[in-house]
Amino acid sequence: MLGRWILLFILGITAALMAAPLILTVFTSLKPTTELVNPAWYPPIDMTFEHYVRVWTEGGFSRYFFNTLVISVIDAIVMIFIASMAAYAMVFIDFRGKIFLQILFLIGLMIPVTAIVLPLFQIVRSFGLLNTHLGVILADLALAVSVFVFMFTSYFAGVPKALHEAARIDGATEFQIYRRVVMPIATPAVVTTALLEFLWSWNDLLLRLLLMTRDEMRTLSVGLLNFQGTMTRDVTGLSSGTVIMAIPVVLLFLFFQRHFVRGMTSGAVK
Amino acid sequence: MAGLELKKLSKAYGNVEVLHDINLSIADGEFIVFVGPSGCGKSTLLRMIAGLEEITGGDLMIGGKLSNSLSPKQRNIAMVFQSYALYPQMTVAENMGFSLSLERRPKDEIARKVNEAAEALKLGPYLDRKPGQLSGGQRQRVAIGRAIVRQPQVFLLDEPLSNLDAALRSETRVEISELHQRMATTMIYVTHDQVEAMTMADRIVVLNGGYIEQVGSPMELYNKPASEFVAGFIGSPKMNFVKGRFADAVGAATLGVRPEHFVVGAGDDAWEGKVTLVERLGHDTILYVNVPEAGVLTVSLSGQHDQTVGDTVHLKPKMEFIHKFTNEGRPIAA
Ligand SMILES: Nc1ncnc2c1ncn2[C@@H]1O[C@H](COP(=O)(O)OP(=O)(O)OP(=O)(O)O)[C@@H](O)[C@H]1O
Ligand SMILES: [Mg+2]
Repeated sequence: MLGRWILLFILGITAALMAAPLILTVFTSLKPTTELVNPAWYPPIDMTFEHYVRVWTEGGFSRYFFNTLVISVIDAIVMIFIASMAAYAMVFIDFRGKIFLQILFLIGLMIPVTAIVLPLFQIVRSFGLLNTHLGVILADLALAVSVFVFMFTSYFAGVPKALHEAARIDGATEFQIYRRVVMPIATPAVVTTALLEFLWSWNDLLLRLLLMTRDEMRTLSVGLLNFQGTMTRDVTGLSSGTVIMAIPVVLLFLFFQRHFVRGMTSGAVK
Repeated sequence: MAGLELKKLSKAYGNVEVLHDINLSIADGEFIVFVGPSGCGKSTLLRMIAGLEEITGGDLMIGGKLSNSLSPKQRNIAMVFQSYALYPQMTVAENMGFSLSLERRPKDEIARKVNEAAEALKLGPYLDRKPGQLSGGQRQRVAIGRAIVRQPQVFLLDEPLSNLDAALRSETRVEISELHQRMATTMIYVTHDQVEAMTMADRIVVLNGGYIEQVGSPMELYNKPASEFVAGFIGSPKMNFVKGRFADAVGAATLGVRPEHFVVGAGDDAWEGKVTLVERLGHDTILYVNVPEAGVLTVSLSGQHDQTVGDTVHLKPKMEFIHKFTNEGRPIAA
């Protein structure tokens, strides 16, 4: 009984610690400028949406939002296809050089992005893809593909081999087996990939800062930096911008929560 | 429909050869059973015929056509897996119609063929269910249905009954035999259960350690086993093997007597032993008799008998049915 209360207490503290910054940000974003003199944890008295309107229009967030959405959605969709196809081949098809590929993917898993930003920048520039969404998308995919190949590989490893063989006997080509037999039972892995890749892409700052310098290409994460000059700081703008950026992510997770948890533990699922 | 010809077929994984010099010709419409102990290569041989396992030596002819490098589809075979391997996200009807839908056959044709097969297998009420909502026996039927819908040239089954309980197993055994008679398609059936082999096969192929031990009809294998291994493997309860004095007396290294070929209670030259266990099956009574110098022998008596544990009995093999083997396990002609 006591153990239960201690557990609840720790849980409560942790939850409060996690939620506090979010709540304070929402408070600040809704306060008229005059109320900013109050302590941050004072709720807004005379609630206003003026900062949201300002950030969305003058602040250029409508454009940033659109840019971010395009990049993240394309990232997520393309990632599902390439990662699942690569994993399919690794699990179900015998070919020469498989071990070599496996090692490459492993290396991809181990190298941090920050260690290779410079060569990455040069590669993207040499393709003439600086300041394009395509450049960022390709870089995103390349950097994260190993993770999702591993995830799909472990998921597919739980699919009985006999299923693949039965489909071959039924006359299906590898692509037909992929599309009609294997992918329909891989929903948890697909959802997890989509959510994680979307989230990473949505929140990433480094690559966007590096590869896109022109304002009309910017994403939300870069846009937020605008509110933070060296001398001044537009606290309300920053707060409402942050909330705008967080809303889609929160919605997605609420919506897919069950799938997501299942996908993360999918090694055990058959 | 087609016959098969296996010529000097062999299979190696790396440099370990698991099947050696397999020569076999299977007639069109025949029911062939591959039988043998675990690990003898039955499944591997079946999978080589299916095209799921690469053939590393020899030729495989299906319907007179060299098929070594044809895809499973080109071989026009169907296969029932031990685990059934049904597509979990598809309904029963979709499972059975999958191969036809891959061929882009018209919808009504697929529906008609699926319905026919479902009718034959009593699957009608379950067509819209997913495999997860079926019992083991029903799944098994769907797996068979999926294979017959395609009207293949050759029908392959790898231990299809091993996941069923005993009652369902003998029921399904009968159904598969009837199915074979109706379809008249060549069937190759893998099992490690010699009863299944004996009851279903036109001809049995006994495999042991990657070699064919013997090919023949069930009665040929029973009456004229080509080796001590086959003699011990075919027939239930197992044949008794006796060495020493009793074998010497008939001029063999090993003397083989089937449990049903003993007479009890005969004369002075009979073998004397003590009953250690009795199994009463109603139609048969099985005695386990410890005979000095011969070991524990199994004796199967037709009908009901009243011997009990501890009784002394006298056994005499029916001489016209005994089997004599050399030291190498080869039979000595009577
Ligand atoms: N992929 C493989 N790599 C190496 N050896 C293999 C492979 N598959 C099977 N073998 C070997 O080949 C031999 C035959 O295996 P197979 O599965 O055909 O046996 P089986 O007769 O079907 O046995 P069971 O009755 O247990 O199913 C075994 O000794 C097995 O260890
Ligand atoms: Mg097997």
